[in-house]
Amino acid sequence: MLQGRNIVEGWRSLLVHGLLALLFLILIGRYYYLMIVFHEKYAEKATANHIRAVPVLASRGVIYDRAGNLIVDNAPSYTISVIPIEVKDKPESLERLSSVMEISVEEINRRIVKNRRGSFAPAKVFSRVPFEKISHLQEHRLELIGVTYSIEPIRNYVSDLDLSHALGYTREINRDDLNRFKKDSDYQPGDQVGWKGLEKFYESELHGQRGFRYIEVNALGQEIGEVQDRAPINPIPGHDLILSIDSYIQHATEVALADSSGSVVILNHKTGEILAYASRPGYDLEMLSGRISSRDWNALMQDPRKPLYDRGIQGLYPAGSTLKPLAALYSLENHSNAEERSYVCRGSYRLGNRSFGCWKKVGHGKMNLHEAIQQSCNVYFFNLIQDIGLEDWAHIAREFGFGERANIDIPGENKGLVPDRKYMNRKYGQNKWTKGNLLNIVVGQGDVLVTPLQLAQFAGMLAQRGTQFQPHFVTKVVTKDGEIIQENVSQSNDRVTASKDSWDFVHQAMWDVVNGKKGTARAAQQKDWDVYGKTGTAQNPHGEDHAWFIGFSLDERYPYSWAVLLENGGGGGGKAAPLIGKVLRSIAKRSS
Amino acid sequence: MNIRSFIIVKLKELEWSTLVFVLLLSASGLLAIYSIEVQHESGSDYFLRQSIWTVVGIGLFLTAYFIPRKVIHNLTYPAYGIGIILLVIPILMKSSGSVSRWIMIGSIGIQPSEFMKIFLLLSLAKYFADHKRKLTDIKELMTPVAMTLGPTIMVLAQPDLGTALVYFGILIVIIFWAGIRPLHFFLLLAPIVSMLAAFQTLSFFIWMGLIIVILYFNHLPFWTKILNFLINVGLGGITNLLWALLKPYQQQRILSMIDSDSDPLGAGYQVSQSLTAFGSGGPFGKGLGEGTQTHLKFLPEQHTDFIMTVIGEEFGFVGVMVVIALFYLLIARLITQAYNSKFRFDSVILIGIASIYIFHVFVNLGMIVGIMPVTGIPLPFISYGGSFMVTSMILAGLSANMSAVRRAVG
Repeated sequence: MLQGRNIVEGWRSLLVHGLLALLFLILIGRYYYLMIVFHEKYAEKATANHIRAVPVLASRGVIYDRAGNLIVDNAPSYTISVIPIEVKDKPESLERLSSVMEISVEEINRRIVKNRRGSFAPAKVFSRVPFEKISHLQEHRLELIGVTYSIEPIRNYVSDLDLSHALGYTREINRDDLNRFKKDSDYQPGDQVGWKGLEKFYESELHGQRGFRYIEVNALGQEIGEVQDRAPINPIPGHDLILSIDSYIQHATEVALADSSGSVVILNHKTGEILAYASRPGYDLEMLSGRISSRDWNALMQDPRKPLYDRGIQGLYPAGSTLKPLAALYSLENHSNAEERSYVCRGSYRLGNRSFGCWKKVGHGKMNLHEAIQQSCNVYFFNLIQDIGLEDWAHIAREFGFGERANIDIPGENKGLVPDRKYMNRKYGQNKWTKGNLLNIVVGQGDVLVTPLQLAQFAGMLAQRGTQFQPHFVTKVVTKDGEIIQENVSQSNDRVTASKDSWDFVHQAMWDVVNGKKGTARAAQQKDWDVYGKTGTAQNPHGEDHAWFIGFSLDERYPYSWAVLLENGGGGGGKAAPLIGKVLRSIAKRSS
Repeated sequence: MNIRSFIIVKLKELEWSTLVFVLLLSASGLLAIYSIEVQHESGSDYFLRQSIWTVVGIGLFLTAYFIPRKVIHNLTYPAYGIGIILLVIPILMKSSGSVSRWIMIGSIGIQPSEFMKIFLLLSLAKYFADHKRKLTDIKELMTPVAMTLGPTIMVLAQPDLGTALVYFGILIVIIFWAGIRPLHFFLLLAPIVSMLAAFQTLSFFIWMGLIIVILYFNHLPFWTKILNFLINVGLGGITNLLWALLKPYQQQRILSMIDSDSDPLGAGYQVSQSLTAFGSGGPFGKGLGEGTQTHLKFLPEQHTDFIMTVIGEEFGFVGVMVVIALFYLLIARLITQAYNSKFRFDSVILIGIASIYIFHVFVNLGMIVGIMPVTGIPLPFISYGGSFMVTSMILAGLSANMSAVRRAVG
């Protein structure tokens, strides 16, 4: 290519330059026309017609029991919000609001700052406002520029069942969660969000999706009306939950529990569905949903009976003798003479210079395995564990689901503790722990810790001969139109294998606990159907012992398993077994 | 020449004005994004992200500037191949019904169609440079049209009408620049005009008349004239059929340009809000962060395609003119440099870069004031978005590179 000679003819370059100039002149003309010539018109339009997107909250999904009875739904509640930019130069608005609501201007300002979403977006300052106040505000509308109110749904607890720990409550979303949910970004400050229990676990199902109305407002921020050319976006309501809870059984359980502290879990061992779930004391869901005063909150936190503590899945207790069937099953499977083997109980067992007592101080005399389960003889099991060993015991305990979460569909479950060699070495030092620790473990004391849910699941697995179904509360998630979104059906999981004879033996022994002459749980007996069970007493260093009763029914009509814990209830046979006896009688009464 | 002296020579050759224009434009974009964030207090991190992209972009500007011309020339076709592969990825990853313009790497989405603009431009330049094409024979257009058609079809499949139009815009300007005969150029573009004209009966007949006149007065074989005429009539005839093949949102966007009331919920609504924002901005604007229209409104693409509304409302006509002037100076300079260049490769690249900028600036600034359809075309250096920021910066670096070489020779 020769120097100095252009590749392109001059006219082509000129044409492109000309095109560029032409296009830019068109732009400049258009902008001049818009921004200079018609400035007035648009400036007027801008100040006179603001369009505000007003969120329309989606109604939260409601919750039904297994028969389709409503447990939780929504009720309207009035909320007052303030638009920051519009009250900025108008302190009289806030003063007016302050005098109507009887709360200081400073407090209102504090809430505006807390719930601020921007200068133009309404910030929520009062929720659950009584209707009289709203009508008062309505009268003084013109003096309350920048103050708006809206109706939003809040939780309404229809049934009078005390399902507080299972249901959980909703509260205003906090900053952390807001940032965490940012991806979905449907959440805004002031929104209600599931905080505990099922409300939290199924938050994404229950929540729904907000919609918007488009409101035209004038320069003073007063609403003129809906925007004509912009259709509202309708909210999408949240999905509903159908629980496995049987309100009748739940009610019977609550009546039987009365004012005792403790927990009852009743489940269907053929499906894993929870039929009744009580954890006492509970709390007032109405009080905890939405805004709770710090005084009420502190009172709840400091209550010595710990009402916020969900005993069913969080409470860790020694299992007591309820774990004896576990060692028995092991022996039946591994010792050739298990059924005949007998030991003499003289009320205590000596190991070195220490003495380990049986609950019956005078002793049970000569005991075989069957009698030892039926009468809950500790000394028999002290002898038996010498032939089992910690590792084997811990293995079978874990197979029954101890020491791990059941993965039930409410958050906060505790794992409990199954001590094994590794754990004991860590806690007490290499080989520093003795046979004495082992003796405590076999009768469910010492280091073993379980939750009521785990024991109910254990009872269910005994009933089902080692087959487990994952316990759960929600059977179905459905849309408002009844379309099923999710169906929770537990898969059976054969976790513990043992011979039919061994299971029969354990069942027979547990039948005798309830029905035999010397059984410890005769109060749970039913007239025309068979109940199986095992009592337990969990030693409590802080006061009176806790009472346990676990059991199951193999009756086709009632495929139920349960665990009952009564805090400071003394021996399991004394109070826990009669409690279940009462509940079971109610159940039988319903079907007859 | 060792690296040190190479860098020193290159630095001396750098036309700093290009870099200054680019930096001023980026700064005004950041200012607008900052204003949106201040008002929304939403805790979004657009400003931070865009700042990072700007810094990355400046790094790539310098990289594109320092890469020796020969290396660019040699790597052009392989780069085109890689670009095609990258374009295929989002289509393969596409879940049914969704728009798939992005390749996700962690949380960063990359739009390969943006980078394809560079590769396509380089390939066309190389084609015209290597073979010293004079374009006297219209058959020589086969290869460049095929080169453009491939990526165009792929972005249409994404679907991204706007980018497809950019690819074609590059091609048209480049073949014009490369020396196509005016009659050929006319015959090439005529079918497009025919299709547009077909929307209205009267304009279609006037246009057909014009074609007949032009064909009559030019020396072409008789049958070629007839064939050309039939093609135009035929394409005009099937336009309505093709229209039906467009996605409803694409139809709507084109319609809403013609009549902004026809679609109050979509593009037309955005444009009418945008007009109010500009108009109320007036000569000097409302001041940084004081805009009410841009912030109140439900404008989902406020920080990307509609970013200029913020500048318009808050800095007024003066602010908009400053931005327009910066773009004009940047682009006009590119055209002059393209004309002065002594190398076909450089010249074609420079005019291609100018064409990309022209297309983006005019379509974006036009659509937000209702004189172009809303096609999702961002504004170079100003709209929020990493891939396009990076692409614009690389193009600017390349242009600086190409014009620097001219001075080294001359």
